[in-house]
Amino acid sequence: MEVATQPKYSQIEQVQRDLREGKLTCVQVVEYYLDRIEASRELNIYIEVYAEEALAKAKAIDERLQENADDLGRLFGVVVSLKDVLCYKDHQVTGGSKILTGFTSMFSATGVERVVEEDAIIIGRVNCDEFAMGSTTENSYYGPTRNAADPSRVPGGSSGGSAVAVQADTCLVSLGTDTGGSVRQPASFCGVVGFKPTYGRISRYGLLAYGSSFDQLGVLAQSVSDTALFLEIMAGPDEFDSTASQRAVEPYASNLSFERKAKIAYFGSALDHPSLDPGVRQVCQGLIDQLRTEGHTVEAVDFDYLDYIIPAYYVLTTAEASSNLSRYDGIRYGYRSANATNLMETYKKSRTEGFGTEVKRRIMLGTFVLSAGYYDAYYTKAQKARKLIQEKTFEIFEAYDFILLPAAPGPAWHLGDNVDDPVAMYLADIFTVQANMVGIPAICLPAGTHPEEGLPVGVQFMANRFQEADLLAFSQKVMDAFPKS
Amino acid sequence: MSEIYDKYETVIGLEVHVQLSTASKAFCGDDARFGGDPNTHISTISLGHPGTLPMLNKKQVEYAVRLGLALGSEINQTNNFDRKNYFYADLPKGYQITQDLRPVCVGGSLNIKTEAGEKSIRIHHIHMEEDAGKSIHDMAPRSSWIDLNRAGVPLLEIVTEPDMRSAAEVDAFMTGMRQLVRYLEVSDGNMQEGSMRCDCNVSVRLKGATTYGERCEIKNLNSMRYARQAIKFEVKRQIDLLESGGQVEQQTLNFDPATGVTSPLRSKEDAHDYRYFPEPDLPPVIVSDDHLVQIREHLPPLPWELEKHFQTQLGLSEYDTKILSEEKATGLYFRDLVQHTKNFKGAANLVINKILPYCQEQGISITSYPIGHQHLADFISLIEEGKVSNTIAYQKLLPALVEAPNQAPLALAKQLNLIQSADEDFLTQLVAEVIEANPDKVATYKKGKKGLLGFFMGEVMKRSKGKAEPKSTNALLRKMLDS
Repeated sequence: MEVATQPKYSQIEQVQRDLREGKLTCVQVVEYYLDRIEASRELNIYIEVYAEEALAKAKAIDERLQENADDLGRLFGVVVSLKDVLCYKDHQVTGGSKILTGFTSMFSATGVERVVEEDAIIIGRVNCDEFAMGSTTENSYYGPTRNAADPSRVPGGSSGGSAVAVQADTCLVSLGTDTGGSVRQPASFCGVVGFKPTYGRISRYGLLAYGSSFDQLGVLAQSVSDTALFLEIMAGPDEFDSTASQRAVEPYASNLSFERKAKIAYFGSALDHPSLDPGVRQVCQGLIDQLRTEGHTVEAVDFDYLDYIIPAYYVLTTAEASSNLSRYDGIRYGYRSANATNLMETYKKSRTEGFGTEVKRRIMLGTFVLSAGYYDAYYTKAQKARKLIQEKTFEIFEAYDFILLPAAPGPAWHLGDNVDDPVAMYLADIFTVQANMVGIPAICLPAGTHPEEGLPVGVQFMANRFQEADLLAFSQKVMDAFPKS
Repeated sequence: MSEIYDKYETVIGLEVHVQLSTASKAFCGDDARFGGDPNTHISTISLGHPGTLPMLNKKQVEYAVRLGLALGSEINQTNNFDRKNYFYADLPKGYQITQDLRPVCVGGSLNIKTEAGEKSIRIHHIHMEEDAGKSIHDMAPRSSWIDLNRAGVPLLEIVTEPDMRSAAEVDAFMTGMRQLVRYLEVSDGNMQEGSMRCDCNVSVRLKGATTYGERCEIKNLNSMRYARQAIKFEVKRQIDLLESGGQVEQQTLNFDPATGVTSPLRSKEDAHDYRYFPEPDLPPVIVSDDHLVQIREHLPPLPWELEKHFQTQLGLSEYDTKILSEEKATGLYFRDLVQHTKNFKGAANLVINKILPYCQEQGISITSYPIGHQHLADFISLIEEGKVSNTIAYQKLLPALVEAPNQAPLALAKQLNLIQSADEDFLTQLVAEVIEANPDKVATYKKGKKGLLGFFMGEVMKRSKGKAEPKSTNALLRKMLDS
């Protein structure tokens, strides 16, 4: 079985330099990753591999490289995989669900489109929790994906396929989505960089909606610089998403130096939280100490709302999900039960047979919290909690540049560990959900190895809204100071 | 028997759905026009494909504000949308984007006129929403067909207070609303094509009662005839029920035009729980103060403004006013025409009797009527001044002008030899001829049957080919017959 190896290329720059210098062809790059995909088949990363297409595109790029390398897009030679909730024109997208089996998208997600326009090569779509609902990639119609560091472990989720795709060196960058930590938590479990921008920084058009006011496209990569370049390319206004920000996009990739000393807050209540694994605490503490040594200010601040984050998050996201998933009804596309004889049965049977357990659980939960007589007790109250959490978080950013938090309460757990206890599973999102509740950017950086388990442990930094440039520059500094173990 | 019904008063409130005439749909670029082959005005967005998001068509907000301003509503300048969740085969997303908590317009009123007099119907609110597609159940035995061309077309729902007391008032309200939306150019108001349809909330109560009875909602009435039938049936049903000791149960009813009967669609217990919540895909839409002012300034003259102008300032009859103000194009045309003449009644007659029928016959808009305002005014003057007889003017001169609209009416009348003559020699000659040709009649006249004067007038006119100026002819006839 494959164990995480040192990747052949850990940065776009390296690949492109070798391609430009003729040390390598794009076809060879694609072939390398196709071999890697083949070698890691048992990890169940890919739902579909676009081998021929990727090779054809690589060949075309090699030809253009011969003619005039300057004409190539900023992502030439970059091999990318897509989480199965991102639309890619004329390719299937199923949200890891039976209910969308055989569904082909007629358009590309804006983020995907922009990446493809820069000559990136999409090599395949990768596994995830069904409709991004889950923290382990076990809730997929296509079976679980396994962690390359230890295949008996989960890779985290819901963008688990994306995290392992990068971890197992089957592509250079993977695009995921993050509704409550779905990019950062698997990044932590797999030892890669996982980044979620400010809500609205990247268009959500072409992202299969889960919690619309939380969802954001995210990047999983080996390096901060690649992450920054992808953000720079994907971000910006989009006529197809009215919630996409109109703010100008900064040149994140060329602005990665962070010279000043940062002021960083961390929550005492988080580091002392009973659910936090001692090994993770140790890694966090180690990082805090090192940051201090470097001259940054790192201070504990009070944050009293930690325990409200999870309940409020699950009320709001399931409410939105219950509505967002109504379109999967067996009428126009996707799976339709063959056993239905009328309209009502078509709905009931198609949805009963087409959705997995966790998705059904969340649809029911969301339907309940929105129903007459319960709306105020749940939805309205959760909205209030969200507002309070937002205000309190913004208050912290008045005095601090970043907030440091663990990305997950522990290292990757074993497959099957929490499948029977959804609430325990939900609680594992406690450190990542805040960024989505508030709509702020957050990044998970590989910060070390768990002292006992030997598994990757990530640490998370959050910044204020639209402070991506600062957050990425600072992350680069952290990564430089802590060479990967 | 009818005394029993007379004890009761009917109370009706309406929910009127008006389809907006925007070029594209409410939340995507699809063609929003009526018709087209089934499922041709669609896209991944209106089909609710995974990953699609709504994009607001700002025109619908502007249209809603236009209607609200015309009705005197309070305009909500920050508009949020909500989702109304329910499953139906012609609802692609499984929810409808609508406005639940903060509608775009609140309050306002529309005045109506019926035989019972004039009254004001209060508007509760107006909100924006998108239409669903169409289910067609009678094309195949075991399946339904779905046409999603209409899915996502912008609608305004106008909710009235329960201020109507008869089917006639409902009729008047719908007619008035149709006229208004057409004036504002926010909808074609076409009930046959479903651009306007209404749900009627009907209840009855004993006359003099201060509380309302339990109401029933009759859904989707898409013609005024059906609405009248449905209300009539429903009122009788409710009164009969109450008179026989029963109670009206709040429910939603369907009206079958074939049988004229309302029947329950669902009762209050199985009312849908629509699970409204804020639409997360659409940020609030702000109508700025400037924009509001701009919309207000660009409002066209409203039907009641033109009516008032025609009736009080121009002194026209209620009948003429109604015809002239029914359509905005006619009203504006007439308003401009009377800038060129002082003979308002003459102008009204010309428009009503000649211009409108001509345009209808030709299938053209009144604004394309060939003869310009100044020439029409000159034409009216020719009649007024007696230069051309009324009959000749309408029968000969006007058709000639339509053919040659650039010719001045006077010149054309002269050219066609249509000018009336008061020339004494000319008239004396004619009168003499008539007297000579009808000795019997002259004798009878002279015996005292003065009514024959009309006959002689007619004869002179005939011989003059309509050119004899009536007043002079009349005087000359009397003089020569009486001599």
